[in-house]
Amino acid sequence: MAKLPPPTRTSIPSNTAGLNPRKWGLLKDISKNRFLYIMLIPVLLYFAVFHYFPMYGASIAFKEFSPRLGIMGSPWAGWEHFESFFNGIYFWRVVKNTLLISFYELIFGFPAPIILALLLNEIRKTAFKRTVQTITYMPHFISLVVVCGIIKEFTMSDGLINDIMAFFGWERVSLLLESEYFRTLFVTSGIWQNIGWGTIIYLAALAGIDQEQYEAAKIDGANRWRQMLNVTLPGIMPTIVILFILEIGRLMNVGSEKIILLYNPSIYDTADVISSYVYRVGLQEFNYSFSSAVGLFNSAINFTLVIGSNWLSRRMNKTSLW
Amino acid sequence: MMVHRMLAKDSLLRNLKSGLTAVLLTSLLLAGCSSGSKENTPEAKPNDGGKDASTAIGSSYPLNTTETITSWEILNMNAVTFYSNLADTPFGKALVDQTGVQVEYIHPNDQQTTEQFNLMIASDELPDVIEYDWTGRSAGSYPGGPEKAIQDGVILELNDLIDQYAPNLKKKLEADPTLDRMVKTDSGKYYVFPMIRNPSGLVFRGPMIRQDWLEELGLPVPTTIEEWEKTLIAFRDEKGATAPLSVTYTGGNFEIRDAFIGAYKTSNSFYVDDEGKVKYGPMDPQYKDFLALFRKWFAEGLFDKDFALTDTKALDNKILTGQTGATVHLLSGGMGKWMDAMKEQDPKFKLVGAPYPTLNPGEIPFIGQRDFKYNPGPSKAITTAAKNPELIVRWLDYAYSEEGSLLYNFGIEGESYVMENGAPMYTDLIKNNEKYSLQQMVSQYSKPNGPYEADERRNWNTFPEQDEAVKVWSKTDAEKHILPGFLTPTAEESKELGKILTEVSNYKEEMFVKFIVGKEPMESYDKYVEQLKKLGIERAVEIYQSALDRYNSR
Repeated sequence: MAKLPPPTRTSIPSNTAGLNPRKWGLLKDISKNRFLYIMLIPVLLYFAVFHYFPMYGASIAFKEFSPRLGIMGSPWAGWEHFESFFNGIYFWRVVKNTLLISFYELIFGFPAPIILALLLNEIRKTAFKRTVQTITYMPHFISLVVVCGIIKEFTMSDGLINDIMAFFGWERVSLLLESEYFRTLFVTSGIWQNIGWGTIIYLAALAGIDQEQYEAAKIDGANRWRQMLNVTLPGIMPTIVILFILEIGRLMNVGSEKIILLYNPSIYDTADVISSYVYRVGLQEFNYSFSSAVGLFNSAINFTLVIGSNWLSRRMNKTSLW
Repeated sequence: MMVHRMLAKDSLLRNLKSGLTAVLLTSLLLAGCSSGSKENTPEAKPNDGGKDASTAIGSSYPLNTTETITSWEILNMNAVTFYSNLADTPFGKALVDQTGVQVEYIHPNDQQTTEQFNLMIASDELPDVIEYDWTGRSAGSYPGGPEKAIQDGVILELNDLIDQYAPNLKKKLEADPTLDRMVKTDSGKYYVFPMIRNPSGLVFRGPMIRQDWLEELGLPVPTTIEEWEKTLIAFRDEKGATAPLSVTYTGGNFEIRDAFIGAYKTSNSFYVDDEGKVKYGPMDPQYKDFLALFRKWFAEGLFDKDFALTDTKALDNKILTGQTGATVHLLSGGMGKWMDAMKEQDPKFKLVGAPYPTLNPGEIPFIGQRDFKYNPGPSKAITTAAKNPELIVRWLDYAYSEEGSLLYNFGIEGESYVMENGAPMYTDLIKNNEKYSLQQMVSQYSKPNGPYEADERRNWNTFPEQDEAVKVWSKTDAEKHILPGFLTPTAEESKELGKILTEVSNYKEEMFVKFIVGKEPMESYDKYVEQLKKLGIERAVEIYQSALDRYNSR
């Protein structure tokens, strides 16, 4: 929004012509580029109506919400819901699970598309490259419900994975009933589904690297490995950092839909995360206020994390979201 | 462009209002606003202005009126196959003809009934009539129960209206004190026109087993736990069943909730013991024995290894492919459906209802499935938005009259039923339709569920085994031990109860599965009971006890 086209000489309205240009800069700008500003209105309205206005509803976290009385009419409850969450028996478990799953996704899931992109970048045969790309990004288009159905089928005691394990003489176990496998299943299936899609953005960044740099590196005697380390990686670094900050912002937001579709009471101890807990308590047991308190707590942490990592990144390598 | 998409998707704003907050807030937003503003003008709509009209409507059907009633109710799943609105069905048209009242039906989406109900209440845009569970007894029904709903100004107290304008229902309530007690609140208020089940419709779930396998193996239908074990072993070893006994597990609800547990003289939830005291089954010492049994069966491969992942579809698959030979399920949604599906593929396939198992031969099972005469879900309440309650009451009362009852149960004479020796019988159009099942046909010509009294003479079972199963499943002491579903804790108690039960039921279910799959040693049972107590289970029992006492003295 900061940079608007330079003022043109025509159409300076007479009434502002004599005023101090610095003081009236914005007004002048508006009157000059009124069509651009008019085009901005729907966007601002969209954010106001759909993103800012609903936030007032977050107040039900501090209320004894009853649908009939409405958000405004419900009586205040203070910090009661937050207290009962913090003192509940599941507080540490869901926070721990949320952090752990996110952390695993971050260390295994985040680099995966980068590595694939770098590998693809080294391939010279376009046909092969295209094929690999298509195959790896296909799973992204499968609906989550179907993906979870597939995972369930594969991990059942008579499913594919068990068939393979039984072939090597292992005992058949229903993998989704065993808490120790859940995180692995969750993270690997996530990588499988999203690796190709995530690669696209890095390939785009790769395409933007100046070819002359490679020429120069070659003349300096850099082999392909060196070229990758010293030209390619620095070239896509800003993209990586930005995506990393965004990823940090989602740290507490493990995909609850997927967890809800996959978990069952026997693996709650490793699978239950804040958002799935919110869903269970809020929607299944109609405890709106309590669950929005938990959701708000989650958002607050996310917010802090984004601000924090953005600040850190700006200080450390001058790349940041804002 | 890709970059843009990704950035937008993960933008900060989205994170800010993450998770449930987002869903809720956006959906409740408008609702909250409008109800907030309306709060200042308490409605005093009903009761005035109705007097002049009352004489004009008349008391004989069809009523003399031009008004249209709006009714919010679920459209039967089978009826959806043919029509999208009840008004278009042959039943809906016949009802208009016979009562003279035009009705505009509003049907919530089957999957989101509760959400849509909540939104409707929150938005304060009420139709005249709402068919919904107002008891507050379970998640999803009106929080706080009927007293609260009346106090909140959502629905009307019906005592005077029934007294004056609903002679048919009044007669039924006077003749049946048990029913009368169920449909009023602690303070004696009526709040719905009830759906009254017929005696044979009270039991509709229980254990069932593959009769053809039993015959092949020369085994009797098992009655005791010991016999069950023998049978399941035979299924596993001789029939190659990979999950000899399997049940569904959906929404944290386990379908053996009433079978097998009864053998140990306890239940999977709250129950009333022989002395009339409320107890919580999952903390009884006997409950431990029940857990031990299933732990053993699970370990030996008699009980489905994937049981915690089995939903209805998975169970269908297991039953129809012979991986499972026994289950606990519904009469028509299970037994009837599966036999129907296998009619052509495998004519030998046959399921029979097995009695609820006991520990010793000849015992009567302590608990089983048995529902109540009053079915609160398909019962109708009149809202405070109704302009002409008298008309609505008269319209609703028609269902309890003789002609009305025939229409609601059997449909249209000469088309869907004929009178034979004074008893209504479904015609071939309904019974032996080539394309559609009896349930589907019935749903067009009558109302499978809704406020009226279900006729004892109607029978929707397709197989004789189903009739037999009901008889077998009925032989339990369930009636004595099931906690009545119409207890009404006070507003304060409800709030407390809600908090306790959320944590208790989560914890109980989790431990239940862990004990069975062997992840938690049986020795920690005492610790588990301790934890339940810490979560306040004893207080919950206390609350239910006082609610039960109030119920008994209604």
